[in-house]
Amino acid sequence: MATGTRPGTSPGTGPGAGSGSPGRRGTGSGSGPGRGPRRGPAARLVALLRPRPGSRPAYGAGIGAALWLLVVCVPLYYLVATSLRGPGDYMSQGPLSVPETLTLDNYRNVFEVGFLGFLTNSLIVAFGAILLVLLVAVPAAFAIVRSRSRAVRISFTLFLLGLAVPAQAVIIPIYLIITRLNLYDSLPAIILPTAAFTLPISIVVLTSSLRDVPGELYEAMALDGAATWQVFLRLVLPLSRPGVVTVAIFVGLNAWNNFIFPLVLTQSESNRVLPLGLWAFQTQYGTDVPGLMAAVVLSTIPILALYLFGRRHLLSGLAAGFGK
Amino acid sequence: MSRTHRIRVIGSTSLALSLLLATGCGTSGPGGGDAMQVWALEDAAVNEIVEQRIEAFNGTQDVPTELVTFVNDAYKQRLQVALGSPNAPDVFFNWGGGNLAQYTQQDQVFDLTQALEDNPEFRDAFLPSVLDVAAIDGSYYGVPLLGVQPVVMYYNKPVLEAAGLEPPETFDDLYEAIDVLQEEGVTPIVLPGAQGWTQLMWFSYLVDRIGGPDVFQAVVDGEEGSWEDPAVLEALEMCQDLVDRGAFGNNFTSIDYDNGSASALLANGDSAMFLMGSWDISRQMEDSPEFVENDELGFTAFPVVEGGAGEPNAIVGNPSNYFSINSDSEHTETAVDFLVETLASDEYVSDLIDVGQVPPIEGIEEQLQESDHAEFATFTHGLVSDAPTFTQSWDQALDPAVAEAMLTNLQLVFIGDITPEEFGQAMEQTR
Amino acid sequence: MRTSATERPGFVWVAPALLFFGLFGLAPVLIVGYLSFTSWRGLGDPEWVGLANWAALPGDGQVRGGLVITMTLTALCWVTQTPLALAFGVWSAGPQRVRAVVSAVFFLPLLLSTAAIALVWKALLDPNFGIPAQVSEWLGLSHSNVLGHSSLALYAIVFIVLWQFLPFHMLLYQAAARQVPRSLYEAAELDGASGVQRFLRITVPQLRHTIIASSVLMLVGSMTYFETVLLLTAGGPGNATRILPLHMYNQGFVAFEMGYASAIAVLLVILGTGLSLLVVRATGYSRMTSQREGM
Repeated sequence: MATGTRPGTSPGTGPGAGSGSPGRRGTGSGSGPGRGPRRGPAARLVALLRPRPGSRPAYGAGIGAALWLLVVCVPLYYLVATSLRGPGDYMSQGPLSVPETLTLDNYRNVFEVGFLGFLTNSLIVAFGAILLVLLVAVPAAFAIVRSRSRAVRISFTLFLLGLAVPAQAVIIPIYLIITRLNLYDSLPAIILPTAAFTLPISIVVLTSSLRDVPGELYEAMALDGAATWQVFLRLVLPLSRPGVVTVAIFVGLNAWNNFIFPLVLTQSESNRVLPLGLWAFQTQYGTDVPGLMAAVVLSTIPILALYLFGRRHLLSGLAAGFGK
Repeated sequence: MSRTHRIRVIGSTSLALSLLLATGCGTSGPGGGDAMQVWALEDAAVNEIVEQRIEAFNGTQDVPTELVTFVNDAYKQRLQVALGSPNAPDVFFNWGGGNLAQYTQQDQVFDLTQALEDNPEFRDAFLPSVLDVAAIDGSYYGVPLLGVQPVVMYYNKPVLEAAGLEPPETFDDLYEAIDVLQEEGVTPIVLPGAQGWTQLMWFSYLVDRIGGPDVFQAVVDGEEGSWEDPAVLEALEMCQDLVDRGAFGNNFTSIDYDNGSASALLANGDSAMFLMGSWDISRQMEDSPEFVENDELGFTAFPVVEGGAGEPNAIVGNPSNYFSINSDSEHTETAVDFLVETLASDEYVSDLIDVGQVPPIEGIEEQLQESDHAEFATFTHGLVSDAPTFTQSWDQALDPAVAEAMLTNLQLVFIGDITPEEFGQAMEQTR
Repeated sequence: MRTSATERPGFVWVAPALLFFGLFGLAPVLIVGYLSFTSWRGLGDPEWVGLANWAALPGDGQVRGGLVITMTLTALCWVTQTPLALAFGVWSAGPQRVRAVVSAVFFLPLLLSTAAIALVWKALLDPNFGIPAQVSEWLGLSHSNVLGHSSLALYAIVFIVLWQFLPFHMLLYQAAARQVPRSLYEAAELDGASGVQRFLRITVPQLRHTIIASSVLMLVGSMTYFETVLLLTAGGPGNATRILPLHMYNQGFVAFEMGYASAIAVLLVILGTGLSLLVVRATGYSRMTSQREGM
């Protein structure tokens, strides 16, 4: 899949993958291909005002959207502005005032209290979970699509049932299992359940992306005398790439943002992941709200980068949760 | 460096709420062997001091002693399971009071009364109110190993002065101060009521002032009707009365201790008084150094309730932590020797003072004078020395399930959702 | 597909995934059921106590209260999120560039973790150093209590959940709105239908599957509000925001009544799983799957 940040320009795999606007040019708007994004201000105004099929109700929603834009931006402004405030500034100035002095000290402090350690742990957890899920989910999806075995069909049903199990509700038995495996307070203690609970959706996503592969391709390889594992390596792996990207992002985001598993399954500072680190930051460093905000900003940068450079992938990874 | 230590201590006061501490099984179990095992909580600063004492002690003994440390709250559970099993420790860290009583009821704790009789200098080295927390039914089962942390009333000196007030000595003084301060536009008392254990400080001090320490003892002993004791109900009524008088302002249920806003409100003069554990001084030093350095931070004892049956100088808080000896230990004699040689020794006490603790030891005023915040350390030490009783934080002394229910119900009393009688009924049901 | 000599992958290809998921995903469901009949204080072995935990459930005011608060919160979240997500989703599906830019900003909260969002809002709603302090000053209110206010606290959580999850549901509606055939609108336009009429008569019916799916996600996802509540109010003031998952957590990991907490957890599993299975039945997987691919 193309890495372009504009939706709709990449040759997607799903039925609607190619239809993402605003790249959807020429449909109903009358503007020629390629002109859409570069229209002049007047033309844009006309385009905004002209009644447009499917874009109604424009005015009401437009005003609403403007208001919501404010609601979205105020906390984000607060987050960034506070993270740049000097120490006295936070207490004496209003929360939304423009900082009088800008400083990066807060960011420096964040690094001094172990931010890099938390970041490393979060990365290990995210990549560990991604790897684990892909390792078991891709072969499973291959089997589910191609196998005629009853056991495989039943397995798929079990995964589908698993979609509905809320992780939060079974945290106590997970705690029991993890302590019995002597994994309490370690990074695998977070990775294993995170991977397990993202596995059903991952399998559903991979299965549906593999279902689009025409049966003739498998037949052709079989005629060439390829064994199952060769089919898997040479056909399934390359063809499941879009699904793999979606799954990797979905699993990675889940692991990155997860709070309850690390909260219950880890304890010591050396195994602390970012979301817990943020929380501990609040209780350990007192009134240092600017420092806390700096930590929040820093913890978001990796995801922000992903959003800027791979928005389409990120959004599809996010929406993979849809099946749940 | 003592910062991390104090933070840990802050955490340990709010154990019941401090969710991070909630889980267990961190360190692998102790090996058997012939060594004498000392179990303690993980705490870098204090562990190091104990290690040094163990090393010194080992030089004089045949049986080697080793320290095994555990992460916080899981420890209580682990100890409960281990005592009575072959993997039990010889010497174990505990919280005294109700926590220690759980083990003495199962006859698992060595009675130290005789050992203390035999070593009167050792016994008399400790402040009686702190040592007594480890006394159950008249026998001693533990010896304090850490500093004291009573709950004290902090105040902002310039704010009280500007209002023409003295720090309140009685509740009448306090009521007057509340009225005057409100007229001045100051929140009389900052109460970080987003966290129930801060309200517990008011409640437990009031119960003690009104009914004396026996009221809480009855609660700990699980006596029927103890939650509906007249002193409990009156204390709750007084709490509600304080809320109604506006003592805590209108926002107290939103204020959080952990994020430091309560301490900041005292320091910046928005509030005049603050009832909090002695550990808060370190937070003020850290967050508002000028407030402390300019001698604007005052501290005093909790006010007296006129006509109350409790002693006016009794205190509430975290007395200390204790080392006790497993009655099944093969090394009880060595263990007694270890405690007697170590816990009141000059080296141990001065090391504790160096990391910012106020050990419950008689006659260390001079040493405290030279410590980090000498005035406060001396005040704390004096408060504890003069106290006839030192009631342990209720949420520590009670079973965690009961403590959780108590903190929730207490919050409901403070916001006026339930009456003191309903609190009593609800708590009676937890038994 | 015709049968052929093609070698097909067997069960062994699914086995690792199934084994792994069985241990950490399915086994916990069975174990939590077992634990609900035991007394277990976190370490040592669970002790069988029969129906004691279950017998205690109906008498626990916090379970009843927690259920009510959970349902109230879920309902309020649905009522606020659905219309807004539908409106903004359809609006942002339009081809105009300004809409693409605005919706890119709308998606920003998706980048922050639940913990980060809760902490930012907690600071923002601080009674002394946050927005409430200023607002109450301007309006001359007697207090600036939000998260510690018995009724405002719940509304604040509804709002923060809206702030966090609106973009996600908007994303679903945006993708679905782009699938609505143009011809339907063009026909309606020829009939002289107004914009609002077109929205109600074409857009909403065409998006009904998305509305159902998004609603189900909100119902099931209400379990995840637990983290927001824990970080913002920890259930307070008093019991005002003590949703059932939080009560379970407190019973399990604060009070160490793991057996009793498991009984509450079973209740939650039944509620959560039951709801989503119901919806899977009602809508069917294939449909949901194809919609997801449309993202």
